Formats: sequence, structure tokens, C-alpha cells
Amino acid sequence: MVGIEKENCFVFGVFMFIWSFALISGITMVWLLAWAIKRGEFRDLRQGARMIFDEDEPIGVVTDRFPGAPR
Amino acid sequence: MIAQPIPPVVIPEVEARIEVDGSSRPVIVLYWGTSLIWLTIASIAGLISSIKLHSPEFLGGMEWLTFGRIRAVHWDTAIYGFGGLAASGTLLWLQARLCQVRLPYRNLLLVGGVVFNIGLVLGTAGVLMGQSTGVETLEFPLWAMPLLVVPYVFIVIANFTMYFKKVTKHTYVSQWYLMAVTVWFPILVLSAEACTNLGAVDGVAQAIANWWYGHNVVGLFATPTGIAAAYYLIPKVIGKPIHSYHLSLLGFWSNAIFYNWAGTHHLTGGPLPAWTITLGVVGSLMMFIPVITIGINHHMTMLGSFHLLKTSPTLRFAVMGSMIYTLSSFQGSLEALRSHQEVTHFTHYTIGHVHFGMYGFFAPLMFAMMYYGMPRLMDQEWSSARLIRIHFWCTVVGMLIYVTAMCYAGIRQGLMMNDPSIPFLNIVRFTIPYLALRTLGGLILLTGTIAFLINFVRIITPHKYTWKTPTMLDTERDWKKLVELEKQSENGGTK
Repeated sequence: MVGIEKENCFVFGVFMFIWSFALISGITMVWLLAWAIKRGEFRDLRQGARMIFDEDEPIGVVTDRFPGAPR
Repeated sequence: MIAQPIPPVVIPEVEARIEVDGSSRPVIVLYWGTSLIWLTIASIAGLISSIKLHSPEFLGGMEWLTFGRIRAVHWDTAIYGFGGLAASGTLLWLQARLCQVRLPYRNLLLVGGVVFNIGLVLGTAGVLMGQSTGVETLEFPLWAMPLLVVPYVFIVIANFTMYFKKVTKHTYVSQWYLMAVTVWFPILVLSAEACTNLGAVDGVAQAIANWWYGHNVVGLFATPTGIAAAYYLIPKVIGKPIHSYHLSLLGFWSNAIFYNWAGTHHLTGGPLPAWTITLGVVGSLMMFIPVITIGINHHMTMLGSFHLLKTSPTLRFAVMGSMIYTLSSFQGSLEALRSHQEVTHFTHYTIGHVHFGMYGFFAPLMFAMMYYGMPRLMDQEWSSARLIRIHFWCTVVGMLIYVTAMCYAGIRQGLMMNDPSIPFLNIVRFTIPYLALRTLGGLILLTGTIAFLINFVRIITPHKYTWKTPTMLDTERDWKKLVELEKQSENGGTK
């Protein structure tokens, strides 16, 4: 009987862990979404797509070639 | 009047890039380098298990190399050793570059990388000694798992630290995927371990938890990292923004919502409540939405730039990976249908599909990331273009032989198994030539991996093959000089 109670306590603990983890993660994700909207992450998506380019590696410049290949 | 020379102006983004690459070098080289060692080990283990399927007497006298053990070693070292380390290196480097911040907690991440590798060695040894848990994808003994989980916590902390310190205004689509991976993976692994190896549930519920994990470790860990790499590399290499940024966000959120439900399709025909399997089938079919959106985006971005595949090693692997993502995902979604599974379930077809996804989509994108990243991290070019070409063609040919043989054999095997008049042994005999072809495919893949490993060792060590005019680094080298000059003049000014 004691063994079964111990097992039930363990199962309950695991489920509490999973659900609380899921709940905290869910709340964090909603908070992150609100934070991102407030920060203007979704305001100018076109600009977002261009953020990986800069003056040194601008749009239109190929940035990878086989070693030794002429530029 | 004598004209004064114009002082050089350093672009802040370039300075940040040099700083980021310099700060992340030891960590990323450790993660990527060891991931390739684990890929070699996984490939050798896979090859041994493949040979055993058509020649059972091969290494038959060694109990620690029996099929049940070596096959588990193959998969676990592939998914955690290669996948875990390659994806973590990619995550850290990409996030640092996109946030334009130095990699934080470098010593902690280095220790984490070493501990993770020790965990992999102990876990592999445990399985070989017969201590496998017997739970698919979680075969490593329970005592080895903390050594894999704790270092991942360091990666999660570093990832969030970089994001909240980011200099850039926008969050690039790759960052959405990278942030999500660090949230999803710990929940996945801890919940699955609790429900399977720790025994919180048993019987059918344990099988559901097992396949929920088994499917999602690919879909919510490997896949997002691969997609994040593709979204960075394809536009960056060809110098063209992605086709539709709106579609990319739709792809991310639909992937986040639907993938999680798909795992139970692995248990079609099993003793589960029908609704749980239906849920898995529906989730799998809904995956058409992210797959189509991501596919459109990658292919449309490449439109007009396919000629660059001849000249860019990174692009070759990245485009191969993103194209096979579309194909293997379509295959996977259709495979989930009950009517499809009536034929292909419990056949070699599933093995073909898994390798199509892991070696056709995920691995090439990780290779692409390394081909792009390593010259920038090490400040020297890959030593051999020939070795890169050998690696690429071995990956393509090996994977095609493997997947074609397994999928064709699987369909024929399934059709024969559905015919009660055919003796089972005849079906086994029928598959033997295809299993031999699978070994051939695996051997070719291993050859490619070794070619890459040689090139990798050469790039991290000073070697006589260093190219004087590397890919695009000559521009960066000039920038480095400028940054140094500027720092020197600043120091001189303050003195």
C-alpha cells in the first residue's frame, strides 16, 4: 500500500511539473509576443527581411564561392 | 594646400560581425567539430547494423555489437551527437550574428560542450554494455541523461541573453525558430523521460509519450534549426532578401501549432484510442501549410539564382536541404494516412523516410552552415574544393541510393505482407538485395563524411594549403585592418 502511495505521489509530481512547465512556457510565450508587438517587431516586415544585409555585404552581392575560385 | 587623407570609417555592422565571429570561435568550433566526429561514429554504427540485416553472421560473436545495441547507438549518436551539437553550434553562432552581440558565457558553453560529449560517450558505452532503456530515441541509460540536459540549459540561457541584449531592431525569421527550439526542447525531453524511463505512466500511455517525443525531437528540434539555417543562408549567399517575409512568419506559427500533434501517427494500428491516432493524422496533414509556405519562400527566393549552385558550396547544401525538406515533408504527411500505412507501416519505407529527412534535409543544412561559418570563424578558407565536391556528391548519391532502395523495398514488402498467401520468409528474401543497396548507400555517405572531416581538421589547423584569396574574406580582412587601425588611433587619442 505504501509503495502504491509513493508511486501515486511520484506520478502526481511529474504531472504537476509538466503542467506547470507548460503553463509557465505558455505565459512566457504570450508575454514575449506582447513584448515583440510593443517593440515594433511586426511593424516593418520588409525591413526585417533586409536586416541580414549591410554596406559590406549588401543586397546583390554573392557571399560564398568555392575556395580558390576567382572572385 | 595639401589634401588631408580621409580617415577610414568602419561600418558598425561589420565591426559587430568581426567581434561576434571572434568571440564565438572556440565554442562553435568545439560544437561543430565534435558533431562531425559523432556523425562519423553514427555512420559506422549505422553501417554495421545495416550489414547485419543482410549478413547476420557479421560480427556475430560480439554481444556488445548485436543489432539491438548498435542500431540504438547509431540513432542516438546521430540525433544527439551530430544533431544536438551541430544544431547547438548553429543556434549560438546564428543568434550571435543576428543579434550582433558577442557570444556570452563562453567558458560555461565550452564546459557545457565538453560535458555534453562526456555524456554522449557514457551513454553510448552504456547502450553497448547492454544498459539500453529500450525506449526508442531515449535509449541512453538514465544516469547519462543529466550530462546531456544540463549543458543544454547553458545554451538556453546564452540564447535568451543574446536576444534580450540584441542591438538589431528587428527579429529575423531564423531567430523565431531558434528561440522556439530553446523553449520546446527542454519540455520535450524532460516530459518524455518522466513519462517513459522514470515510469510516471505505463502501457499504451507510455507508447504515446514515447512517439510524441520520437517524432517531435525531429520536428521541434532538428527541423526548426534546419529551417532557421536555410532562411539565413539562402538569402545571404545569393544577396537577395527572402521572397515573402509574411509567408515566413505564417510558416513559423503554423509549424509551431501543428507539428506537436503529429507523433501518434507512428502508432497507427496499435492498441490506442482511435481519436489519438486521428489527431496525429490530422496534425500531419495540417503540416502541409507550413511546408508549402516554407517551400514557396525558399524556391521563389532562389528563382533566377540557380546558376550560383555551380560556384557556392554553401548554396549547394542549403538548396539541397531546403528542397528535400519540401519533398520529405510531403512524403511524411501522406505517410501518416491510414490507407497509406496499411501498406508501408512496419516496413523499410519508414526507414527510408527518416533518412530522407535527416540526411537529405537536416544534415545538408548543418553542413551548409559549417561551410559558410568556418572560413569566417577561422579566418582562413577551406583547404580543398575537391574534398567539398566529394562530400557533396557522396551525400547526394549515397542518400538517393539509400532512400530509393528503402522506399521501393518498403512498398513491395508491405504489399507482400498484406497477402497472406506469401510465406514471410519469401518476403525477407526479397528485401535482401535492397538491404545490400542500403549498405552501399551508407558506405557512400560515410565516405562523404570522412572527406568533410579531413577538410574540417585542415581548416582548424594551420596548413600549407591555405588559399591566399579566400571566398569573400579578403574584404573582411581589410575591415579587420581598419578596425585595428581605428582602435589604435582611439588608444593613441586617449593617451
